[in-house]
Amino acid sequence: MSITFKNLSHIYNEKTPFPSAALKNINLEIADGSFTAIIGETGSGKSTLVQHLNALLLPTDGEVRVNDFVIKAGEKIKDLKQLRRQVGLVFQFPEYQLFEETIETDVAFGPKNFGIEEKEAKERARYVLELVGLDASYLERSPFDLSGGQKRRVAIAGILAFDPDVLVLDEPTAGLDPQGAKEMMDLFKKLNTDFGKTIIMVTHDMEHVLNYCDEVILLKKGEVELVSDVKNFFKDSTIDSLDVQPPHIVEFKRQLEARGFAFDEDAFDLPTLVQSLKGEFDHE
Amino acid sequence: MIKVEDLHFNYDEHEETIKGVNFTVEAGSYTSIIGHNGSGKSTIAKLLIGLLEKSSGSIEIDGMELNEENLYAIRSLIGVVFQNPDNQFIGSTVADDIAFGLENKQVPQENMQAIIDKFSKVVGMYDFLDREPTSLSGGQKQRVAIAGVLAMDLKVIILDEAASMLDPRGKKEIHELINKLHEEENLTVISITHDMEEVLRSDKVIVLEHGHVKMSGTPAEILQHEDELVALELDIPFVYKVQKELKEIGIEMDTQVSIEGVVEQLCQLHSKI
Repeated sequence: MSITFKNLSHIYNEKTPFPSAALKNINLEIADGSFTAIIGETGSGKSTLVQHLNALLLPTDGEVRVNDFVIKAGEKIKDLKQLRRQVGLVFQFPEYQLFEETIETDVAFGPKNFGIEEKEAKERARYVLELVGLDASYLERSPFDLSGGQKRRVAIAGILAFDPDVLVLDEPTAGLDPQGAKEMMDLFKKLNTDFGKTIIMVTHDMEHVLNYCDEVILLKKGEVELVSDVKNFFKDSTIDSLDVQPPHIVEFKRQLEARGFAFDEDAFDLPTLVQSLKGEFDHE
Repeated sequence: MIKVEDLHFNYDEHEETIKGVNFTVEAGSYTSIIGHNGSGKSTIAKLLIGLLEKSSGSIEIDGMELNEENLYAIRSLIGVVFQNPDNQFIGSTVADDIAFGLENKQVPQENMQAIIDKFSKVVGMYDFLDREPTSLSGGQKQRVAIAGVLAMDLKVIILDEAASMLDPRGKKEIHELINKLHEEENLTVISITHDMEEVLRSDKVIVLEHGHVKMSGTPAEILQHEDELVALELDIPFVYKVQKELKEIGIEMDTQVSIEGVVEQLCQLHSKI
């Protein structure tokens, strides 16, 4: 069980006078249970790529395989509903899609839509709301009375409520304050490590990539520019040419290395770097 | 430039959102306002431009009390750029959007084109004057919003998390533009932000908590109260975390506000041993 993209291309407005190729011949494999970051500039095809994972967009050419599902150019997908239950997609600014009168009914909407009984759907709503940090006192409240960060938790709970194996997140922390972003990222990490969910996250935040993800996929102009595990990605000096703003710790380490200090090449946390510095200063 | 005294405001009768706020902003300065969500940051921005009406206290801008009588005079001095680039684009093209405020201000038609040209050049959008908003990036839309504010010949710009929804390139565009305007045109900047790197570049920082000023001062002064900032769920800039860790292992240096500064100090200290 894993996710594979094979020779995938996507052209927007095909068969019109203004076609635009958003993805070109993408070949990728995403391991089951991984936490994968998809990065790249605005317009590089990140959102287009992930929207293929639950067949919201269909390939113009090539195919995507998710577990036993095959999404192929020009072919009808068998059991689309089941695919969408396995792959939960959280859009950018998902809080704009809340619509029910109470938080409980909003979160229970997804499971009910997938045929789960009302009673169980409500139990699930209660459970996932707790998971995203909103206790039972929120159930009867209107989602529209919440702060932006809380609304986003409700929207994410609405996806978790039908228990997808794969969680696809498109810039989940954009516009949140640092504390809200951290809580959100900690939740995804927990879903990944404790619940074994495969997480695929589109992001611009390299601090999050370094601190939470295992794998990085970099897209550029609709093509795969680079696939790497996270540590190698930040170790590798080729990222300098990739228009990526490195995390502060990487920047700090690099500048010191350029001035002759030496560190363990795998060390990307402040305490370890500072301990190595201590060694250098004591040693003299 | 701006003097706020004992400012109070409530959205409803149950709870006050702003509970007796005092601060001043010097002409030509760069002030950051920080605080967690719900601390009253955006409410203060709206009060300062008269989008909301205070319940008591006073707001004085350039020697004028903000009241109904002076509202238009004050709005010709101070403007705001909000967070969401899609919610503030009014015109059907870039030129229309910049013209909107000018038309409101009844700037004669014959002068308008020159003003639009000038400020679209300042924000680097001159080549896009005929473009529609759908064909622009978030950063470009925010630059147009800034041009619209600048075209009104304002003295003070308030940025209400104006870069927070943008990608790294968009953020950089906005920061560079604002720094340039601040330094070269002496624009007074009030930035509501979560970006601690931006906070470090400010002249003054105001920290809000539950509708009152928890503390204010230079970035270095504010960051001495690290424990309080952490308690307020605010981010501590990386460069300060580094210096704290270094201090704990006995490496002390004059307070640095950039990574480059810390590296330089470390090299100097190292060469002395």
